[in-house]
Amino acid sequence: MEARAALTFVPEKIEIRNLSKVFPGRPRPVVAVDNVSLSVPAGQFVCVVGPSGCGKTTLLRIVAGLEEQTSGQLEVVHQDQSKRVNSMIFQEQSIFPWMSVRDNISYGLRMRGVEKKTYEAVVQRYIAKVGLTHFADAYPYQLSGGMKQRVSIARAFANDPEILLMDEPFAALDEQNKILLQEELLRIWDETRKTVLFITHSIDEALVLSDRVIVMTAHPGRVKADIAVSFPRPREVYKLKSQPEFGQLAYHVWELLREEVMRAKELEAATSAS
Amino acid sequence: MSGPAASAVTDAPVQDQRAAVRTELRLSGKTKGQRLEQALSLFSPILLLVLWEIIVDVHLLDRRFFPAPSSIVDTFKDLLVSKELLIDVKDTLVRVLVGLVMGTVPGLLLGAAMGLSAPVRAFFKPMVAALFPIPKTAILPLIMLIFGLGEMSKYVSVAIGVVFLVLINTMAGVINIEQIYLDVGKNFGANRWQFFRTIAIPGAMPSIFTGFHISVNVCLLIIVTVEFVGAKTGIGYLIWKSWQTFSIETLYVGLVTTAFLGFLAQLGLDALRRVILPWKPEPR
Ligand SMILES: Nc1ncnc2c1ncn2[C@@H]1O[C@H](COP(=O)(O)OP(=O)(O)O)[C@@H](O)[C@H]1O
Ligand SMILES: [Mg+2]
Repeated sequence: MEARAALTFVPEKIEIRNLSKVFPGRPRPVVAVDNVSLSVPAGQFVCVVGPSGCGKTTLLRIVAGLEEQTSGQLEVVHQDQSKRVNSMIFQEQSIFPWMSVRDNISYGLRMRGVEKKTYEAVVQRYIAKVGLTHFADAYPYQLSGGMKQRVSIARAFANDPEILLMDEPFAALDEQNKILLQEELLRIWDETRKTVLFITHSIDEALVLSDRVIVMTAHPGRVKADIAVSFPRPREVYKLKSQPEFGQLAYHVWELLREEVMRAKELEAATSAS
Repeated sequence: MSGPAASAVTDAPVQDQRAAVRTELRLSGKTKGQRLEQALSLFSPILLLVLWEIIVDVHLLDRRFFPAPSSIVDTFKDLLVSKELLIDVKDTLVRVLVGLVMGTVPGLLLGAAMGLSAPVRAFFKPMVAALFPIPKTAILPLIMLIFGLGEMSKYVSVAIGVVFLVLINTMAGVINIEQIYLDVGKNFGANRWQFFRTIAIPGAMPSIFTGFHISVNVCLLIIVTVEFVGAKTGIGYLIWKSWQTFSIETLYVGLVTTAFLGFLAQLGLDALRRVILPWKPEPR
């Protein structure tokens, strides 16, 4: 695989060129995404970090096809038409309250007409992976916030899309579950090598998971830096974090990000004052 | 936008189990007080009936208007033995059920269509807005004029009372489904029919059920009124006839039976709720 990838042309899975999004806001229009260009090769794990409100969710929703850009181009290569090109893990509570955990997780498979016989095993496997075996037939109201988020993660993975779009999927989890799921994600990703666009506000998380970190500027969101993360895989969360190289890179990203977080604060103060 | 989700949410399964155990403990701790409350609420109506009987017996209460409970029970037995009461109850129930179905099905379909499609909504909204506020009892004469005095006019009266309530609640339920669920449906490639079946209808179901619940109560009101004037059977007819013939005990039997039907309807609705909304815990 490695050799072939080096010899043949690897098509860019996601190609974003000069993309902007303006929302028609109430006092004045809001520029959520400003002239972003980014190309993600197939099989790359990309993390996007940036201050709150800088347009990360908007960018992801445009890639998912849930929102239309105001200007610029977006190309997403869809290879296997029998599957979905992308599945989104939403930042907010998004599992259906009227379906059991099992039915939520099988949702994508059912919608594209996979037979029950075929999907049942897949669903069972992901239920186990996110640690919800005893809650397979529970309804969401019986789950904690973190458990709901795990259902949402399993729903996207079970759907087996070509691209995973993850919007701060672990933000609502407690520390232990977060690390367990990060390791699970690393393991699944090593098996499948899907293209992933992963949004997070945690620098550590970005460096642990990704091949590449995109740092975005505060409002309006632009690409500030594009940093390669070349720690060897397979990775172990704590082992990796204990390495000096990890700390150095984390500090580098923090320096970049700190400027933007400060700027975001100033912007916020300015808007609330006016 | 990325901040608030980070607030600490504990979610270890262990903790959930502990919470479940705690709930159970609290429930079993309550039973002593609950038993007393149960006893009290059973005792109070009995006390009232006994008092009533005594007051009538000593002529403090006029038995022409307030017959003693014992004489009402006697009349009740007579009406049961002669099967008259059973026939009346059966006819009333059939009218209510047929009318409910005739009103619920179109209300559900049109309400869902209006919720899903803005043009359909724009087309029908003025008519619904104009017709809904008319008191349903006010159009009973018109219905009897059009459909005659047979059973059809009863079904239609009930159906008209039901259709708007179901329609409006279904429409509101569909419109108010949270945007995030529409996004999920789209992201997972649900087609129109799948969207309708897996998101629109279940998402609107709490609201639909509320509409149906109100409908059932309105049904009972309407059917009794219809049977006052345009029927030769039914529980409303029984009440009306006993007023005309001044058989006061029969009138009370009619009232008690109506109350009992309302009580049964409540039980039925509770059971239905558990079947169609198992995912929504009952509000306490
Ligand atoms: N539907 C919308 N309508 C108007 N403004 C929006 C909408 N969605 C997001 N915004 C604005 O766009 C900016 C970026 O939001 P978002 O993409 O959610 O940021 P992030 O995910 O990075 O926190 C914010 O200022 C937000 O208020
Ligand atoms: Mg966001």
